[in-house]
Amino acid sequence: MSQRPKVICVTGGKGGTGKTLVAVNLAIMFKNDGYKVLLIDGDVENPNTYLLLGGSLENKTEVPFFIPKIIEDKCTKCGLCAQNCAPHALLHIPDAFPIPILAVCSGCKLCYKICPEEAIEADSKVIGWTYSTRVNDLSLFIGELKPTEARSATIVEDLLEDLDDIIEKEPDKFDIVVLDTAPGAHCDVEHLIKKADFVIPVTEPTKFGKLDLIRIIDLILLLKKDYRAIVNRSSLLGFRDEFLKELKEKKITVLGDIPLDDEIVNSYCQGIPLMEKNSDFDKNGAGYVAFKKLFANLKEWIQLNSDKNTGGK
Amino acid sequence: MVIIGLPTNGSGGLNEVFSPRFGRCNSFTFVTLEDGKIKEVKAVQNHAADAMGGAGIQAAQIVGENGATEVIVGFLGPNASQSLNALNLKIFQAPNQQLTVKELIDLYIQGKLTANIGSNVGAHYGMSRGMGGGGGGGRRS
Repeated sequence: MSQRPKVICVTGGKGGTGKTLVAVNLAIMFKNDGYKVLLIDGDVENPNTYLLLGGSLENKTEVPFFIPKIIEDKCTKCGLCAQNCAPHALLHIPDAFPIPILAVCSGCKLCYKICPEEAIEADSKVIGWTYSTRVNDLSLFIGELKPTEARSATIVEDLLEDLDDIIEKEPDKFDIVVLDTAPGAHCDVEHLIKKADFVIPVTEPTKFGKLDLIRIIDLILLLKKDYRAIVNRSSLLGFRDEFLKELKEKKITVLGDIPLDDEIVNSYCQGIPLMEKNSDFDKNGAGYVAFKKLFANLKEWIQLNSDKNTGGK
Repeated sequence: MVIIGLPTNGSGGLNEVFSPRFGRCNSFTFVTLEDGKIKEVKAVQNHAADAMGGAGIQAAQIVGENGATEVIVGFLGPNASQSLNALNLKIFQAPNQQLTVKELIDLYIQGKLTANIGSNVGAHYGMSRGMGGGGGGGRRS
């Protein structure tokens, strides 16, 4: 039996559907059941999972981005670096030192590696930070992109490399890893989906919700991943049944839905997860009951998947 | 002696029309001036024109490789502007009208061209629509 943790990615495409709400509460429910859980916040432009958990940002680590620095004493002006730079981030004319054009540099470090005179030094700039903390018996990794920087995917890659390290060196440190993505379908989201065993896109019962869901499912399927959707705020404007029917017609598999519930808003405001074991939230409330049902469906899906992988029971 | 580089349409040359696009012009024309007189004219194709990105940088490289000490430009994107400045070229602004290389060189000789103040359009300005922006990915150290 594989000791590797199961990785669940919560995404959605459309912003504000409730990805973080779902990711945090799924993590909490697994923790309540005795699983060892890691939650990774990959929404690096707006990391806020820790707010829903009443936690804080700790163990701040800088994420460096490579900057080439030409050492003129060693450089023979051969131009090999510039010739091989794919984004043309090195400007070179004969008998001159190459000039880095940092705006287009992808940080691949090829120039640093191929210079025959080792005349390029690896300088760096900080493009963001990662944090790791433990809150509520959950381990939490958070990424944050520095404002004005564009490469959110780089921060996500950093987080996932930390995850890879754990999976390789301490494979039974965690049973479950939950990944929370940013909105959209850019490569930062793609990296997180690629890492997952199970992908859960979260949507809302509106035209926007449906279109964005279809779009993110396109990406998920392109990445050859298995998914089941969640419809959040399902009771919005009374569209629930109609919306679920529309999704069924589009052959979109739904894990479950969560109706509007003031208790969910209360949990947000208080920074206490709705599904936290000893919370005061109404355990018969519509939101609470919906999450319980979702969790049961998710565990069933995971079991189905592992039966398939072990050749069935 | 100065060598002035100009982005041009078609295959370039003294009678060719000046191209307001820099990174993605068809050709570059280089005019050598000595004592206010045209001594030599050379034209080269701009192979940076079809580049997905970084066309401005490659174009600046072509201009530098051909020994230009000054350039006359119309619209200049951020990469092109940065690259031309990095090469220490004197950059002049062409007036906003259709002119030939000869006409612009005459204006230059008469001292009627103003200095360019930096990039005046966004990236990918000279490309046709439908080419993506991107700029997301990239690797860390």
